[in-house]
Amino acid sequence: MQLQIQRLAGSGFNRHLIARNYQKRKFKRMIVAGLMLTSMVDMFSLLVIFLLQTFSSSPELAVVAKGVTLPAARSSRELKDAPVLALSNEGVYLDQKFVGVTQELLENPAPLMSRLEELRTLWMKTHPGQSFPGEISLQADQSLSSATVSRFMGMLPGQSFGSIQLAVIAGGSTGGS
Amino acid sequence: MAVSVGSSGGSGRRKSLDAEINLVSFIDLLSMCICFLLMTAVWLEVGSVQVKQSHGTEAAAASNSYELDLKFQGATRAQVIIKKSGRVAHKMNLSAGTAAELAQRLDAGIGTWLASVPGVDVSAAMLTPNSAVSYGELVGVMDVLRRHKIVNLGVVPVAKGS
Repeated sequence: MQLQIQRLAGSGFNRHLIARNYQKRKFKRMIVAGLMLTSMVDMFSLLVIFLLQTFSSSPELAVVAKGVTLPAARSSRELKDAPVLALSNEGVYLDQKFVGVTQELLENPAPLMSRLEELRTLWMKTHPGQSFPGEISLQADQSLSSATVSRFMGMLPGQSFGSIQLAVIAGGSTGGS
Repeated sequence: MAVSVGSSGGSGRRKSLDAEINLVSFIDLLSMCICFLLMTAVWLEVGSVQVKQSHGTEAAAASNSYELDLKFQGATRAQVIIKKSGRVAHKMNLSAGTAAELAQRLDAGIGTWLASVPGVDVSAAMLTPNSAVSYGELVGVMDVLRRHKIVNLGVVPVAKGS
């Protein structure tokens, strides 16, 4: 141990450290704390790299309607830009605008149908000469009955929305291996 | 960002090649980057499961491949019928304690059948929901089917009370 201290004390910088430590013991503890700049810059750089990797350039697609908890799925695809139909226990929203109460719309789907028709007509006007893709994104609460959701899904082809994207939380765990 | 090259130190000496970064502005830049990225970060990654509501048209177009019909008969019971050209090729009755177990049994059942018939292609699957099954569980089953490369999925709209 003594030999090691002597060996440490050999270099100029170590001698300086030992001397500073000795000086510190003499006086009261200093209030000003030093920053380890190298580690701090390292940490900052790592944070920037991590955040850049997780950066999404299309955050507007990820807006989930209020009162909707999406189910999880492991084998999901990227969500395309399409009108969003959100189904919660309380109400139905089309592009974040309230359409009606869920149970009432199941009895009388006319308000939803007219809003879907408006969307389709608008798309046809803004894309003349193109065929309507019929894509719609469906955000439904995971606690809703699958029969209820299927009835809404059955309404959509009536307004040529035959390609439905079920919004899910990507990479979540479901049943199966 | 200021980067200073070491001073010459005298007329006769060579210039030092060690570059010094101005740490204050460097840390400022990094902090601003972190703040911006933290504020604009999206932590919830939303994906999609594609469903085609084209019962009897596109899904049935390929006559050489198999089709799968999955009918929920309750919260934890389901019947799976795999057909080829309208004829039943394989049938499974699944039941389990929980919905997660049911999805696991479906996964195992389809995996075993696909392994027993090499080179088989299941082109489409139609799912018939049940009021006792939640939407989350339905998506879980769809996820299992997609993992077995069954990508043309359809959902049969069921009447009230069924």
